[in-house]
Amino acid sequence: MLSLWLRRFSTDRIARSRSRQRAPLIVTGKRGNAELVVAVDDAADKLGLTPGLALAQARAMHPVLDVIPEDIEADASLLENIADWCLRYTPLVACDAPDGLLFDISGCAHLYGGEDALVADLSSRLEAAGFAFSIAIAGSIGAAWAAARFGKPGSHARGTERTLLASLPLAALRLAPETVASLARVGLKRIGDIVDLPRAPLTARFGTELLRQFDRALCIEDEPLTPRLPVAPYVAEQRFAEPIAREDDVLAITARLAGRLKVALERRGDGARRIELTLFRTDGAVRRIAAGTSRPLRDPDDIRALFVERLAALADMLDPGFGFDMARLSVTVAEPCAPEQIGIDRREDAAAIGRLVDHLSARLGSQRVRRLIAQDSHIPEFAAGSVPAQMTGTDDGWAAFRRYRDDVDLSPRPLRLFTRPEPIEAVAEVPDGPPLRFRWRRALHEVIAAEGPERIEGAWWSEHSGQVSGNLARDYFRVEDKSGLRFWLFRAGLYRNFVQSAAAPTWFLHGTFA
Amino acid sequence: MRQGGFQKRPVQLASSKTYLMLEELRQRLQTLQKPPGIDDVPGLSPLGVEAIDDILGGGLARGALHEIAAASEAHMASAAGFVLGLSSPCPALCRASAPSRQDVDGRVKAAHDGRHLVWIAEDMAQSESGALYGPGFEAFGLRPERLVTVQAARKRDLLWAMEEALHCRAITAVIGEMRDGEIDSVAVRRLSLAAAESGALALLLRATPPTDASTAATRWLVGASPSFVSVIPGRERSERARNPETSTVLASGFRVPASGRPRNDIGGIGSESEHVPCFAVSLTRNRRGPTGSWILQWSDIDERFRLTTHAQPVATPLLDRPHSQVA
Repeated sequence: MLSLWLRRFSTDRIARSRSRQRAPLIVTGKRGNAELVVAVDDAADKLGLTPGLALAQARAMHPVLDVIPEDIEADASLLENIADWCLRYTPLVACDAPDGLLFDISGCAHLYGGEDALVADLSSRLEAAGFAFSIAIAGSIGAAWAAARFGKPGSHARGTERTLLASLPLAALRLAPETVASLARVGLKRIGDIVDLPRAPLTARFGTELLRQFDRALCIEDEPLTPRLPVAPYVAEQRFAEPIAREDDVLAITARLAGRLKVALERRGDGARRIELTLFRTDGAVRRIAAGTSRPLRDPDDIRALFVERLAALADMLDPGFGFDMARLSVTVAEPCAPEQIGIDRREDAAAIGRLVDHLSARLGSQRVRRLIAQDSHIPEFAAGSVPAQMTGTDDGWAAFRRYRDDVDLSPRPLRLFTRPEPIEAVAEVPDGPPLRFRWRRALHEVIAAEGPERIEGAWWSEHSGQVSGNLARDYFRVEDKSGLRFWLFRAGLYRNFVQSAAAPTWFLHGTFA
Repeated sequence: MRQGGFQKRPVQLASSKTYLMLEELRQRLQTLQKPPGIDDVPGLSPLGVEAIDDILGGGLARGALHEIAAASEAHMASAAGFVLGLSSPCPALCRASAPSRQDVDGRVKAAHDGRHLVWIAEDMAQSESGALYGPGFEAFGLRPERLVTVQAARKRDLLWAMEEALHCRAITAVIGEMRDGEIDSVAVRRLSLAAAESGALALLLRATPPTDASTAATRWLVGASPSFVSVIPGRERSERARNPETSTVLASGFRVPASGRPRNDIGGIGSESEHVPCFAVSLTRNRRGPTGSWILQWSDIDERFRLTTHAQPVATPLLDRPHSQVA
């Protein structure tokens, strides 16, 4: 485990955005009712300012201070950016808020030529980015965390946790300040003090947290690392000697990485459903471009074609700056994909449609390319809907719809349906009859023929207040006007209810027939 | 003009060799410029109406771009229905006299399983004309599960998506629904070429009658037409026999009672009321030459267009009465 602690994280973030440092920098925030110092930079630290000091007191001690209000969101997003950038070292990176990161580097260090080389690489990059930091490697998260903040940074071999921790203060065990304070009250200050104490009284007095953290730090209990991003099942990556910036190069490298992934995917009989291309810019920014597919995909050319569209869709956002020095292609969602037999016509058609859907979705967005589905509802607007075409369901519901239609002998449905029924002004000859004429979008339509009503009861069991017509029963009419236009109208509510309330019935136009 | 000049003065050319070369180049240019969809048609899809098919030289040319415009915004649903009728797989297969429904279904399934239809519309289309509704889609002999809909934010995206879809070999027809505005000839040409390559039907559906010049193979103006008394053989309902006094059945399945007023008829829902859309169709541009106007109806029994013989709707005069009587 590697623990990275950015010692002056908040102040470094502010200093990075400035060309020149003027005065000692402190960051303040409201704690309770008081404005307190929450972070200081090195210069302020030398003046004796520490976090926890009241702002007024700090100003009294040193009138010339650069005081900046804290910005927790900016800190958090910068930390996440750094975490993304650190994905170059290991896929298992977790944010250790507010100012640290945890890496699981098992099995990754040798890629850099050992732990020390990895730390050296990380150090030089962080230094260049202008951060103060300390890095420690130990067998457990707790020990690494403690060493980075309180002990000797550097690499500590597994099994040496006990000696490493013994001399460190109890706060190094990631305990709540109250616990640390109450331990100090009984004279327990260092971790070494509690090593040999009987466990039962300690737990009884200070709670289970103390010993759990202690056990975790000493590798007696396992502590899982929760990575910030899910770890992709298939990953291929490539570092470049020289940064690349051209789109063609990016695509070429994508195809090459896809070729490597293909081998791994084939071995396990999987295909990619969602692919992510991560581009690491030389200045630390990370670009992530994801593309979805409508069927499990393996072919490098298909994958490349997907990213051609994705890059075309966000040409401005790619912004290579001084170039990318590393690219990673990961399959974030994989699905079993049966080995394909090529040449049977129908299958090829399905593949061609899949390719087209992927192609369009990559460029226009998967929400814009849709398929129609039927749903189990008698309410017209819910009876049919659409889903992104890339979302393949096992059943689109049309078979069930046809059975239902034949069973109940459903009357014709309009070709086009308005998502929200449009209110119209209608005049009916008899209160529960079809309208004689109606006004829709400011045009008057004379009804010459009508068919209906078809009564569709509202969903009384659900409280859909969002519907325009509420939850009332509807009487649908198919009407034809003088010029031959055919509409699907309905009156919301039953006639007998209007008699009681003396309100005029409301009419809606719901669809148009061809 | 330049071409004319050459023909007038061939003797002035340096040698007959140059002339021959120029002639050859000219011929090559001509073959390159030959509009797709005229001679080397990948296929025809007949409408099933002889009068129209004759004019079109056998049917609507596949692998070419056709423009279908609604007579006005309000007639968009009819135009959409006409477009679906054109892209329906059936007409090519059911030229034989009225096969039964199951029969057609079976054959269509065999021939067109797996083939898709792509409907691309601008965002505005959904709110202006409504979204395509699957259950209503089936009346046109098309299966909603074989439809891919695409929403395009801009006209540029629409044209791009149409072209991409046309390149796909598993597509029978690509329908682009455009609100208003012009479409430049380069885009039309690109679409025509893409269609010619794949042999798919490219249909451009426009919400308003276009004013721009077109290089599409055909251009249609489609509006709704009042329904007529049913004339489709096999659809002659016993309705009239049963109630000779009270009502007239429109082709749409709507009834107009003898009194001339729309009637509330709960019993009519169901088996009696099959939906037969009527279209007033005019072919305003045809690369082959002749144009014309027809009133067609879509027969949902054998899933094809039929020519309506009645020139005047039967029902209209009955209802053409002054408002004051009603109000």
